[in-house]
Amino acid sequence: MSLNPATLARVQFAFTVSFHIIFPTMSIGLAMFLAVIEGLWLKTKNDLYLQIYRFWLSIFAMGFGVGVVTGIVLSFEFGLGFARFAQLAGPAIGPMIALEVLTSFFLEAGFLGIMLFGMHRVGPTLHYFATCMVALGTLLSASWILSANSWMQTPDGVAVRNGRLVVVNWWHVLNNPSWLVRLPHMLSAAYLTASFLVAGVGAWYLLRGKHLAFAKKTVALGTASATVLIAGQVFIGDILYGTMLKHQPSKMQAAEGFWEKESASPAPYYWVIAPNQKEQRNRFALGVPYLGSIWLTHSLHGRVEGLKNTPAEQQPIMGMVFYGFRIMYGIAILMFAVATASLWLRWKRRLFTTRWFLRCLVMMTPSGIVATLGGWYLAETGRQPWVIFGMLRTIDAVSPVPAQTLLATLIAFVCIYAFFMTAFLVFVARIIRRGPESASIHAEASGSLKNALRPQVLDSPNATAALGRVGR
Amino acid sequence: MTLPLLCAAFAALSITLYVLLDGFDLGVGALLLLQRHEESRDHMVDSITPTWDGNETWLIMTGVTLLAAFPIAYGILMPALYIPIVVMLLALGLRGVSFEFRSQMKLYRRRWDVIFAVGSIVAAFMQGLILGALLQGVSVQGTTFSGNVLDCIRPFPALCALCVLAGYVVLGGCWLQFKATSQLHGFSGRTLRIALPLFMLAFFAVGGMSLFVQPGIVAAWQDHPVLLGTLSCIVLLAAFILFGSIGKRPDVRPLIAGLVMIAAGIGGLAILVFPTIVPFRISIWDASSSRLSQIFLLTGAIVVTPVVLGYSLFAYWVFRGKTPEEGWDGYE
Ligand code: HDD
Ligand code: HEM
Ligand code: HEM
Repeated sequence: MSLNPATLARVQFAFTVSFHIIFPTMSIGLAMFLAVIEGLWLKTKNDLYLQIYRFWLSIFAMGFGVGVVTGIVLSFEFGLGFARFAQLAGPAIGPMIALEVLTSFFLEAGFLGIMLFGMHRVGPTLHYFATCMVALGTLLSASWILSANSWMQTPDGVAVRNGRLVVVNWWHVLNNPSWLVRLPHMLSAAYLTASFLVAGVGAWYLLRGKHLAFAKKTVALGTASATVLIAGQVFIGDILYGTMLKHQPSKMQAAEGFWEKESASPAPYYWVIAPNQKEQRNRFALGVPYLGSIWLTHSLHGRVEGLKNTPAEQQPIMGMVFYGFRIMYGIAILMFAVATASLWLRWKRRLFTTRWFLRCLVMMTPSGIVATLGGWYLAETGRQPWVIFGMLRTIDAVSPVPAQTLLATLIAFVCIYAFFMTAFLVFVARIIRRGPESASIHAEASGSLKNALRPQVLDSPNATAALGRVGR
Repeated sequence: MTLPLLCAAFAALSITLYVLLDGFDLGVGALLLLQRHEESRDHMVDSITPTWDGNETWLIMTGVTLLAAFPIAYGILMPALYIPIVVMLLALGLRGVSFEFRSQMKLYRRRWDVIFAVGSIVAAFMQGLILGALLQGVSVQGTTFSGNVLDCIRPFPALCALCVLAGYVVLGGCWLQFKATSQLHGFSGRTLRIALPLFMLAFFAVGGMSLFVQPGIVAAWQDHPVLLGTLSCIVLLAAFILFGSIGKRPDVRPLIAGLVMIAAGIGGLAILVFPTIVPFRISIWDASSSRLSQIFLLTGAIVVTPVVLGYSLFAYWVFRGKTPEEGWDGYE
């Protein structure tokens, strides 16, 4: 790879956005989880839920913080790296992102402070409202940004006049052909991610025989929601596959790993390939016979379309698309297996005692994040060489910034983000090691939990003083 | 014809709110470096913790409003200001994560506070560089940036950077006058007595020097002498009131004076560059995006902004009064 501005701008964008998406995925999922948990607490008054809430709130808060600061970078990066893209696409995606800021970022920011620090000041009911508003904010945020990204994948509702893009129909821009399929897929990915995080941490405690009440509750909740969600996700994913096959055949051709216009019959389902883009062939390919025909054409001998159906200069790079898809799909299968096992064990009443299963759960803790990244690599690299599919090539979109500058800032991004990630992981590990009990210790120090949360103490400085700064 | 004007007004509103609100956050952050007592530093951070995120969001709003309503300008300015913007974003990132991370570990809190302060200072400095580069003018050919990314690193932008940093420190001091108690209250008074004169000095130096680097500014003074003169007087007057009210009651008076002072300064800048959006180069009409895009943006802005302001105020109200010395909540 030579040091050219286009490559560097793309690597930089890919790096910063990949780093960012890790945190929103957790934030979207955990916000909803916290809303559910606080609701359960208000309903049952069972303090176990409050403990779960506080434990996950502290992790959520840190992830949210990193999500915010990495997100801000992205909203400027459209122009920093891809000025021509910003100038052309601004009229279409700009207003959507602006509405995202107005309807969701402000909502999240406004109520996050109350969610994190306001329990003593506003009382439980209003605090619950704040939690719900933060969860709603993440949901709206995902809706807008997915609409913007989907418009880049399947642009609609616009015309180009005098070299500038003009919106002719907003409804078509917003509700472009892929948005309403991709949105549920992404949301459900985020909720799956949170389910596996929550279940994984619980399982870790169970394996060590610690914090048993907390651990059982979270494993039960996590596996239950994962089971429901993964069933839905496979279904939505299948519809999404059909949608993208219709609008971006080149992406799905690359995703399956076949080159020839028609594959052999019966087609295998490849798991490992070593593609050679220049010679338009696989140096090496390993797959399960017949499975390709069965899954992709729903018949025993069907043939699958290969990438040569797309002219070479309009092909995405097969390796990236293929492995993005395989990672996501492979993890989907694992998740499905874990969900099935959890149903069986739950029925047998051995969910909390089967050690191999708990170990699986621990290993699956980050699976949602990995699958999400895989999915996004499939979607974004599969769109290449276009930045707006069929309208603007990525090469033509790059900013007039010299390569050295881009390289220097890329290095800066990598260093600082590595620092963020290290700090985040270290602190999360500490919180997990300390366990959920320390998360509520201050409230207990002041007497009863409920006492501390009653609105009477709202403005009394003595009550807050009594709580001290034990956690600090 | 009026749509671009309204969009520009919304962008101006966003950037003004950003400078005023995140201004005192960054100022408080910068002052962490001068504060030796850890207790007091905790207190300082606590005073801005619940609301800083919303304040910073106005920066995103400004950037995205440009993208939506004036994509041509956005596409010119981002590459032109590439270096200060990226450095600012990274610095804001360091500052932002420090809020969460500093509270995690007592042992290293000092180091996080240094990161917090340096992040705040660098971000403020870069915003000043951006301002200076805009006033000095960026090179444009057609609709693309045609200069060098290093153009913004020159004496005039550097002077602007010092001015913005001093201005933010003043705002930070005013905020602490309003929110802090006892010893921290005294600390903020002492800083204000030094920072305010420095800011005034830098402010008038920038004003003077700008006449030499940018002919457009001379022209603007010739066109609107009364308006610009009045605004300068307001800045001066507010500065005097601020200085006189340090340490006195009502303790909100320095904050109000400080906000009026900075707002008048921003008003002056707006008059200087109007009606261009890439200052002195491209007008808001030439940089506009499509009509329907601006209508969509404005509809959203008009409907949602009051709600946003409403619950932002609510968040400030929830955390009203003096910041408790032992934190908002035993739990953090
Ligand atoms: C599916 C969800 C999703 C996706 C694909 C993206 N984001 Fe994001 N973003 C969120 C979901 C989200 C969120 C859940 O709403 C965050 C995470 C933490 C937070 O504060 O909000 C967020 C934060 C966040 C912020 C800070 C908001 C604040 O201050 O509260 C900005 C400016 C962006 N994002 C911008 C972007 C851009 C320009 C993206 C496109 C490249 C992008 N995000 C992809
Ligand atoms: C958050 C999850 C996302 C991930 C992980 C992701 C990943 C990527 C990757 C890997 C690239 C580089 C592709 C290549 O050069 O081969 C890319 C490019 C890009 N993406 Fe995404 N993307 C995400 C979301 C978005 C969203 C939501 C938008 C817009 C609304 C977006 C807009 C772009 C743009 C403008 C480029 C640069 C031009 C290009 O290379 O095509 N991305 N992204
Ligand atoms: C059988 C299972 C699945 C199928 C068939 C499937 C299918 C797809 C397809 C076709 C895309 C590309 C969409 C595009 O090009 O825009 C995609 C994207 C994506 N997938 Fe999956 N998926 C499955 C499971 C999962 C799982 C388990 C997760 C995460 C937990 C996940 C997360 C994502 C994400 C985050 C994206 C990118 C966002 C988007 O394009 O909407 N998927 N998936």
